[in-house]
Order: sequence, then C-alpha cells, then structure tokens
Amino acid sequence: MRNSLRGPRSSVLAIRLAVSALVGVLMTAGTIATASASSLAAGKDAHFTIALSNSYIGNTWRIEMENEFKSACKMAPIKTAVNCSIYNANNNVPAQRSQMSDLIASGVNAIVTDAASPTGLNSVVQEACARGILVVSFDNTVTAPCALKVNEDQYQMGYLWAKWLAQKLHGHGNVLMVTGVSGTYVNEQRDAGAQAVWKKYPGIHVVDQLNGQWDSEVAQRVVSAALPSLPKIQGIWCQGGTNGVLKAFQQAGRPLPFTAGEAENGFRQLMASGKVQGYSIGQAPYLSVVALGLAYEILSKHLSAAHFKTYNLPLAPVAVQNSNNVKGKTWFPSLGGDFFADVAQTGTGSTVAGLCLASAKSGTACPSGKLVFSFH
Amino acid sequence: MSVVRRSRWSYLSLQQAPLLLAFVMLGITVAAYVLFFDLRLHHLPTAFAWDSTISNALPLVFVAAGQGIVVLTRSLDLSVGGIMDLTNSLAATHMHSSVPSMLLWSLIVLAVGGATGLVNGLLVTVGRLQPIVVTIATMSILQGLAAWVLPQPGGNIPASYTNILANSNSPLGLVFIGVVAVFWLLLRRFRLGIALYAVGNDAEAANALGINVRRIRTSAFVLSGIMSAAAGLFLAAGSSGGDATGGDSYLLASFAAVVLGGVSFFGGRGSVIGVVCGAGVVTLLVSVLFYANVNSFYESFYQGIFLIGAVLLGMVVTSLAQRRARGSLRRSRRRW
Repeated sequence: MRNSLRGPRSSVLAIRLAVSALVGVLMTAGTIATASASSLAAGKDAHFTIALSNSYIGNTWRIEMENEFKSACKMAPIKTAVNCSIYNANNNVPAQRSQMSDLIASGVNAIVTDAASPTGLNSVVQEACARGILVVSFDNTVTAPCALKVNEDQYQMGYLWAKWLAQKLHGHGNVLMVTGVSGTYVNEQRDAGAQAVWKKYPGIHVVDQLNGQWDSEVAQRVVSAALPSLPKIQGIWCQGGTNGVLKAFQQAGRPLPFTAGEAENGFRQLMASGKVQGYSIGQAPYLSVVALGLAYEILSKHLSAAHFKTYNLPLAPVAVQNSNNVKGKTWFPSLGGDFFADVAQTGTGSTVAGLCLASAKSGTACPSGKLVFSFH
Repeated sequence: MSVVRRSRWSYLSLQQAPLLLAFVMLGITVAAYVLFFDLRLHHLPTAFAWDSTISNALPLVFVAAGQGIVVLTRSLDLSVGGIMDLTNSLAATHMHSSVPSMLLWSLIVLAVGGATGLVNGLLVTVGRLQPIVVTIATMSILQGLAAWVLPQPGGNIPASYTNILANSNSPLGLVFIGVVAVFWLLLRRFRLGIALYAVGNDAEAANALGINVRRIRTSAFVLSGIMSAAAGLFLAAGSSGGDATGGDSYLLASFAAVVLGGVSFFGGRGSVIGVVCGAGVVTLLVSVLFYANVNSFYESFYQGIFLIGAVLLGMVVTSLAQRRARGSLRRSRRRW
C-alpha cells in the first residue's frame, strides 16, 4: 500500500522534473540564440547579404581564414555594403547541406563556401544557383559547374616546391616527402605536381613518403619514427606541418636539409635565423576574403561572373625564400610555430590589398580601414 | 474485463513508451523549427524549406534504420559509414544516364551492401568475434576500397537519378520514408521481425525456443548493409557525385538517431519507426539552430544535450510505465 502511494507521487515528480528540464533547455537555447547571433555588424545601407558557409573550424588555418573574413566585413567597402554572417558545420556534409538549404530559404544574395566535400554539396549548390544566388567556393572548392572557384593552383604548388628542391640539389640527392590527407583533391594535385618534376630529374631519389596529415604534430611524430631508418637526406618536400618535420630533424640531431614547404610561422622563423634554407608557399587564409571580394564585385556588377568561373591566386610571386623573408611581414617573432604566416598578400599586383596581421589574429579591422580588390 | 484491458494497455505502453517519446521529440523539433523560421523570416516555412529538409534527411533515415535493426539484436555496426563511402563512390563512377544502367547499378550497389553485411554477420556469428572489432575492421577496409574506387571526389550521377532520389522541389522524399516505415511494419509481423526482438531480449532463451540465433543476427547485419547501401545511393544522388569519405559523418549520426528513436542498446526494445523520427530530429536540429541564430559552433553541444535529455526522459517514461504495469497487475491479482 505504501508502495502504491509513493509510486504515482514520485512519478508525477519525475514528469515535472523532465518537463521543466526540457523547458529549461529550450529557454537557454533561446537566450543564447539572442546573445550570440553569428551575424556580423553591418551598416544601415547594407544592400547585400553574403554568408560564409565553412565546413570546419577545428584547426589554425580555418580559424585564421574566418578571422580574415570577419576583418574584411569590418572594412570598407564591405562594411557598409554587405551584411555578413558565418556558419560552421563540424566537418559534416549533411549538416553543411542543411545549412545551405536554410541559407537559400532565408534568401541570401551570395554564399561563400569552404566545402566539407567537393561533391557532397553539389545538388544544394545547384539549387542555390537556380534561385539566383551567387555561390563562390574557395580552398576546398565544389565541383558543381555553376559555382565560382577561388583557389591556389595546388598542382603548381607541388610543382614549384619540387622544382626549387631539384635546382638547389642540382638534380641529385635524397628527398623526403611528407604528404597530406589522402583521398583529397589538394593532396593528389600537390603530389602529382611533385611527381612531374621528379620524372625530369632521375638523380633525385624519394627515400620515403610519409603521411603528415597537414598537421605539425602528426608530421613531427611520423618523421621522428621514420628517421632512424632513413639515409642522409638532402631535401624535404612537405605539404604541411613543415615546422613539425624540421623539429623532428633537430631532435634527431640531423642537419636541416633544403626544405620546400608550407607557410608555417615556425618554418619561416627557422629560415629567418638562417638554420634552414627554405622555399615557402602557403595556402592563403585570406582566400576567404578573395572569395568575398569576388562575390561583392559581381553582385555590384563591377565584374561579370562568366569571366571568373575559376580564379587562381598567382603563386610564384608570393613564394618566400631566405632572401625575401621579412620580420613582421612574412614571419612573426612573437607568434607560435603553427600560425600560418601568410596573413596578407605581399608583392605587386595584389588581388586584395589592405589586410594585416590583426585580420588573421583577431578578426579586427586593419588601420587602413579599407580593402582594395583588383581581379585580373 | 476492464482489468484485463487495462493491463494490456499498460503492457503496450511499456513497449511503446520510447516510440511515443520519439514522436513527441520529433513534434517538439518540428514546432521549434516552424517557430524559429517564422521569427526570423516572418513567414511559415516554404515548400522548398520542407522538401529540402526531407531530402537532406533521407541518407540518415536509411542508415539509421539499418543501425537500429542491428542494435535491436543487441549488437552494433560501425561499418555503416564505410559502406556509404564505398557505395556512393561506386554509383558515382559507374552509373550512366540510361534507365537500365541506373537500375542495374542501384541493384549492384545494394548487393554490395548486403554482401558486406553478410561478411560482418558471419564473422560475428560463425567467427565468434566481437561486433565492435569486426565492424571497425570492415569499416577501415571499406574506406580503403572506396578511396581505391574513387581516389579523389568526383564522378557523376545522372540528373534524372538525382531528381528521383534527392528532389528538393517536391515532397517525393516522403515516399521513401514511407517505404522504410511500411517495410518495418511488415517485417515485424513476420518471423524474422519477431525473432529480432527475441534474440535482442535474450539470445539464449531465443535459442531454447528454437530460433536460429546465428541466422537472425547475420540477417540483421545484412539488412543494415543493404540499408546503408541505399543511404549511399541517396548520398550520391544528393551530391550528384561521389566522395570516398562522404559517408563517414553518418556513423555517429546514425547512433544519435537510434538513441533519440528510443531503441535500447541492451537490445530487444524499440522500433525502427522511432529511429526514423530520431533521424528527423537530428536533421532538423541543424536547421532549428540555424534559424535560432545559434552559432553553429555550439551545435554539437545542443545535440549532446538533446541526446542526454532523450535518454533520461526515456528512462523516466519506461520506469513509469513499468510501475503502472506492475500496479495494475497487483490490483488485478487482488480482485481475482
């Protein structure tokens, strides 16, 4: 009897608890929703809405890339003309597809995207195009024909790295290759570019091809593990995590060979100290701004989309060697080794001028307060 | 008489409580979706918004349904994402725009999925290996095969195929969800369906009753393989191409849908209908957070809260129903 009395009462209590918990969750969802709207500040006369749909925000490069985007949205002419917003998708194709469908339904003018999969978003991208929404993909671009593609030529990058090494080594020597995430377009293309050069130089021996996953720590680990079994190495060809690879060489007490690699600050610091002869080209985090700028110029009818189906940033002029490695511009003494040092375009004929270190570091506006785009 | 009916109702509610809960969850999510959509855009969700949401949900609906069947038998299948990797790559590299080619390759892909499930099932039952070990191994093998079939994302899916399987301008997707539901409702009326529950509840007892436990568990893996392959087809259709890593993110999502759908990981309890609702919740949650302007950075956070909430609520409701069933049993005894 006591049991049957206690039963219903405690169950009513349980229901109440459960319901109030659910209401609580929904209410916190509501408050956070109003507190952290991801829409960035825009001027009153903003006439375009441009959203950045980013597949993933879990590494240094992606964080810098989003910061650059935020910074651009706080500078003229974007600041007053564009209502910017940012969405991330946890490297999850279905989530990014849903988000893009939602962006279409909410009627944005353009979507700038770093995609979770080159093909996974194609149908929703085509849907966007069919509804008159401009889609500009960059970095991990999509293959849908109607989307514009902004990138660096990955084949060319692999090719230039290899060519520099081959010339430094006068066509003879042992080279260690450190590759990226297999199964991706970027990895395949960079690799193919290198292989094209090796074919021309039979004296170059690729002693090992290690998978560094474009991650400094992974690269350091796999190189450390492999080094004891490797012969003397005269050259390193590295797709990413270059600072980790060099650290592994230092820890093993090996001399640092000629190194062609990405734009990690740690690599550039070693170059600046003269400890390594290097050739550094990076995938630029400000590609997001180039894509945003292209979308803005096309929406403003300054440019025609038909002429910019694919836009590749010129590579050779931005390559950094020991001779043109400038403190505060191409390397930063106070920043970590994993930071991507290509924060703004250097050299003449820039596609986008006006970005600075603060753009990549904190997403704030630069002192000039102004961006200048020139697509050619 | 009334006593008997009541205890039967109690028994039913004990069995169906998690399913009811899954429907309630879906209802809440849909309501939240409509609410936030309207708050942000000042009109109700458009036909496109509904249709694209349904079409986006399809791969998860299928893969989660397969996972649900395996979980019902007190097992799990980690290879579902790998099967999707391989099957969407196969479809994208081989399918041409003629009807025979589309049909043929759809069948081949489903057969590949079924064969993979068979391998999983035989290794688990005949090989007496842990499902987690077997399927984690086949997952890696499948991922490797997928990368070999399609070294970099690409390939092509005929536009007409996309229009049928992933049309975001018509509610055609509901038909496919209906197919899953009807298939399940039929299945559980047949021996296999009943045996799935029996094996999940108590394999030894099922064995004593003359159920071939090995065959039933293997069948669950085969069904899961076929369902995952179908999910791969929907994925390929929605992408109009293939990606050898495209299925990977569906693995964890399939478990989320199973949990939200009220299927117990101890086996023998729950329904694939609930899993379909769970898949709907997981898919819609992304859109709810989008329209609620929640930074998508916190999406996993809310998904986790939702999962824990679902499990807790499920426990509360089940124990309630149990108590009720016990109570009415006691009352009926007393009267008798």
